[in-house]
Amino acid sequence: MSASESVSITVLGVNHVTAPLEVRERFWLPGHEVPAALQRVLAAGAQGGVVLSTCNRTEFYLADRGNGAPAAVWALLTERLGDGRAAADFGYVRRDRDAVRHLYRVSAGLDSMILGESQIQGQVKEAWELSRPHAGPVLHRLFQSALAVGSRVRTETGVGMGNASAPSAAVAIAGKIFGDLAGREALILGAGDMAELAAACLVSEGVRVSLVANRTYERARAIAEQLGAGSRALTLDEAWEHFSGVDIVICSTAAPHAIVTWQRVANALAARRRRPLCILDLAVPRDVEPAVGQLENVFLYDIDDLQAVAAAAAAQRRSEIPHAEHIVDQEVEEFWTWYGGLAVVPVLRDFRRRLEAVRAAELERALKHLPDLTPAEREQVEHLSEALLNKFLHQPTVALKAAAQDGRGYALLDALRRLFGLETPRE
Amino acid sequence: MVLSLHLIALALYGVATALALAPFLGVGAPARVAMLAASAAGAALHVVGVSQLSVVGLAPSLSLLALCLILLQLASEAVLRASAVALFTAPLAAGLVGLALLLGLAPGAEVASGRGAWLLLHVALSFFGVAFLALAFIAAALYLLQFRQLKTKHFGQMFQHFPPLERLDRLNQFALVVGFPTLTLGVLLAIGYAVRFAGAVQVDKAQIVWGMFTWVVLGWAVWVRVVRHWTGRRAAFASIAGFAAVLLVYVALKLAAPGAERFL
Repeated sequence: MSASESVSITVLGVNHVTAPLEVRERFWLPGHEVPAALQRVLAAGAQGGVVLSTCNRTEFYLADRGNGAPAAVWALLTERLGDGRAAADFGYVRRDRDAVRHLYRVSAGLDSMILGESQIQGQVKEAWELSRPHAGPVLHRLFQSALAVGSRVRTETGVGMGNASAPSAAVAIAGKIFGDLAGREALILGAGDMAELAAACLVSEGVRVSLVANRTYERARAIAEQLGAGSRALTLDEAWEHFSGVDIVICSTAAPHAIVTWQRVANALAARRRRPLCILDLAVPRDVEPAVGQLENVFLYDIDDLQAVAAAAAAQRRSEIPHAEHIVDQEVEEFWTWYGGLAVVPVLRDFRRRLEAVRAAELERALKHLPDLTPAEREQVEHLSEALLNKFLHQPTVALKAAAQDGRGYALLDALRRLFGLETPRE
Repeated sequence: MVLSLHLIALALYGVATALALAPFLGVGAPARVAMLAASAAGAALHVVGVSQLSVVGLAPSLSLLALCLILLQLASEAVLRASAVALFTAPLAAGLVGLALLLGLAPGAEVASGRGAWLLLHVALSFFGVAFLALAFIAAALYLLQFRQLKTKHFGQMFQHFPPLERLDRLNQFALVVGFPTLTLGVLLAIGYAVRFAGAVQVDKAQIVWGMFTWVVLGWAVWVRVVRHWTGRRAAFASIAGFAAVLLVYVALKLAAPGAERFL
């Protein structure tokens, strides 16, 4: 595969650890902008590229020859930042084996804000499919293997078990009350970020968030529109009568005192015919009087409860990290064996061809000076030259293959090219 | 052959019990398919074993009841993914098969064909009725335990592995509403069988009185469910009361007239 000759794998980017949200959101590349960004990087000399852009990371995976492609990526990101700051100040660069390990860890959820979250694997797949026309053979293979590694880690370890975020814990608790959440109705009081996240999680489970109530009607309408068809906005005063109809209530107002009182909920229960009501109070200070939780068939959880569920799951996930990292290490070795071999083969082929040409030329010259040799003797001399060549080539061949598999092969390959003038070395 | 089949079924029910208990003993949750496979394999062998038995007598009756319980467990698992039901049914079935083996199981004599079909229908309906009521009891118990976990905010193994409340409530309602008429029909067939083939119903007064008492309690549990639309905790308590009545009356009658030659 000639494309892989001297090509190294590089990842450049930013993530939730290296850059704050206000920076990450400027770097975020929507799908329709990815082809143009990749064309620009390819024009700067990259052999292939894939862009992975989510709310937590924007990363460029490049197959490059160590030329201007990384600089082109930083220039592109710096333009998006647009305030005079350099994108590279927020980012990181990993090369070769470290880059492979990085992608495998990302795909397995080991590099995620919420350890082991599974959404990232779908995002890696989406990124690969979107960038496929520009990926090239090496990155194509790398991303395919990364998806397999992500699946393997999730199957063989408990790193994705449980509900490790408060919104997903909210969904899990509601699921333990209602079973299938599809078709259930939810009411949101207030418009906090956490409530929006929890509502989005519920919507993804098929819950109809049909009512959004807020002190300011416009904000309620904005959230209702964001949540999709079927959602409608209410004022807080209108919300109380809907308590008797919904299954789940998410509270996240900025009220300084409890607004969902025992009396209000008790009044609503009469019309509910003992149907369970799940109230998720995500506000601080709390929106719901604690006594509400004592009402029959009312299940009340505050942010501490949800975080306790999430923390238990997160602790369980953390205990699985060594096992997951071990799998990643194994898979990096496997990829690198393939990739190292890929890079060595064409150089060894050129090396042998060059020495073979030298041998043939020298043999021809020597035989001109020995005209009295019989055909059998000429054959003996020719055989001797071939045997010597093979003996000389054996040790460097073995050493190069071994070095390539260890990840040290590129320096040796460059040295070989320089010493024997095989082609222009990498910069 | 009958003994071997029952012994293997007993071992497989034991395995199913161990797998059901594993998450609560800190061993980790086994694959759902493993528990299903152990129960299904046990039930398959058990069916063959039961088919070689006469259905008269206490030991074969216990074996048949165990089989009905396992079959309902498999159905609950398949339809409602209520795998926690096995926490009760698997050890109960293992216990019943073990007791049947201790009492003595042997291939039974053929019963005349007309009477045989009648008897078989009576026995099958009665035991399925009892097994359905036991399933209603199990669903109710699981409901109350899960309800407590949710109310007291204990998010441990029970919370993780027990089915959701609404699913348990549906299972409870279905088992109760099917179990009551099935058992009633089984008892009516027994009366019809006695009148048709023995000339008269030969039961003592205590059996009639306590039988009626049980029927009324069970009928009440169904009535509050279907007519009064009770759900949740109240309905769970009603189911538990109904099954407790069946169990207590059976034990009391058995103590009053002991013997392994008859189920009742």
